[in-house]
Amino acid sequence: MKSALFILIVIVSGALAGAIHGTVNFAIVEPYLDQAIGIENENLFASGEEDDNPQFWADYEEYRVWQKSGQVLAGIILGVAMGSLFGIVYALSRNSLPGKNDVTKSVILAGIMWITIYLIPFLKYPANPPTVGDAETVVLRSILYISFIAISGFGAFVFYKLSQKLEKSKKYLGLVGYAIFIITAFFVMPENPDEITAPMNLVNEFRLMSVLGVTSFWISIGIILGLFWNKFDNSNSSNGYT
Amino acid sequence: MSKVQQLSVSKTSVSKVAILVLAIVFAAGLFVVGFDQGHIFSIVYGEQAFVDLTIHELTHDMRHAAGFPCH
Repeated sequence: MKSALFILIVIVSGALAGAIHGTVNFAIVEPYLDQAIGIENENLFASGEEDDNPQFWADYEEYRVWQKSGQVLAGIILGVAMGSLFGIVYALSRNSLPGKNDVTKSVILAGIMWITIYLIPFLKYPANPPTVGDAETVVLRSILYISFIAISGFGAFVFYKLSQKLEKSKKYLGLVGYAIFIITAFFVMPENPDEITAPMNLVNEFRLMSVLGVTSFWISIGIILGLFWNKFDNSNSSNGYT
Repeated sequence: MSKVQQLSVSKTSVSKVAILVLAIVFAAGLFVVGFDQGHIFSIVYGEQAFVDLTIHELTHDMRHAAGFPCH
C-alpha cells in the first residue's frame, strides 16, 4: 500500500471512530459530568470560593457550552491519535494476526489493544468525574496513568515476541508470562493519591459510561480500518509454487 | 512425482516515513487531548495560556470521559 494512502485511511478511520466516541459520550457521559460539576459548584459555594449569583451562572453556562462543544471535536482529535497508533500496530502485525480478512484481523487487534492499553490501565487508574481529583497531583496522576499504559502495552509486545520463539504447543506461556508481569506491575505501581469525595454511585455509573464510550471507539476503529484496508490494499496475491 | 503447493502470500509493506508521520500524529494528538494544561498556546500567549487553559477546557469533557487525569 502506498504511504499516502496508508496514512489517509488510518487518519480517516481514526477521525470517524473518534466522532462516534465523542457522540456516544455526548449521549451517555455528559449527564454524569453535569451532575459532578453541580456537586463541584455546591462545594465552591459552601467553601466561599464562589458566590451563588447570576454572574457565576452566566460564566458557568459560557464555559460549559465551550466544554460540551469540544466533546466531539476532542473525540476526533483523540481518535486520530489513537487511530494512528492502531494503524501502525496493524500494519506491522497484520501478517501475524488470525482471521481470514482484514476486518476480522483488525477487530481482533482492536480487542487486544482495548484490553492491554485501555481496560487493564483503567482497572488500576479508573476514570473519575469532575469534583474528584486534586489539581496539585494532576502531573503525578498523569505520569502514573501513561506509565501504566506503556508498561502494559510494551509488556504485551515483549511477551508476544517471546512467544514467537516457543514451540506451537508452548505459545500459551507468552500469555501466562504477560499475565504474571502485569499483575505484578498492578500491585507494584502506586495508587491514585486522591481521595474520592463524590458519591460512589455517581462515580461508578460515570465509570461504566466511560468504559462504554471508549469501547465504542475500539469497536469502531477495528471495523472501519479493516473495511478500508480490505477495499484499498491490493497487495494480497496468490502465487503458485511447484 | 511432482507436488504442487498453493501458497497465499499476504504482504504488508508500509514505509518507515509513514510510520514516523503517524507516530508524530499519535504523540501530538494524545498530548492535546490528554495532557495539555496551556502548554501549546503558551508558545504564542505566554504565561496567560496557563491561566486561560483554552485547549484544556475544550477537551475537558473528553479528557474525563476517556479516563485521563484532568484536575
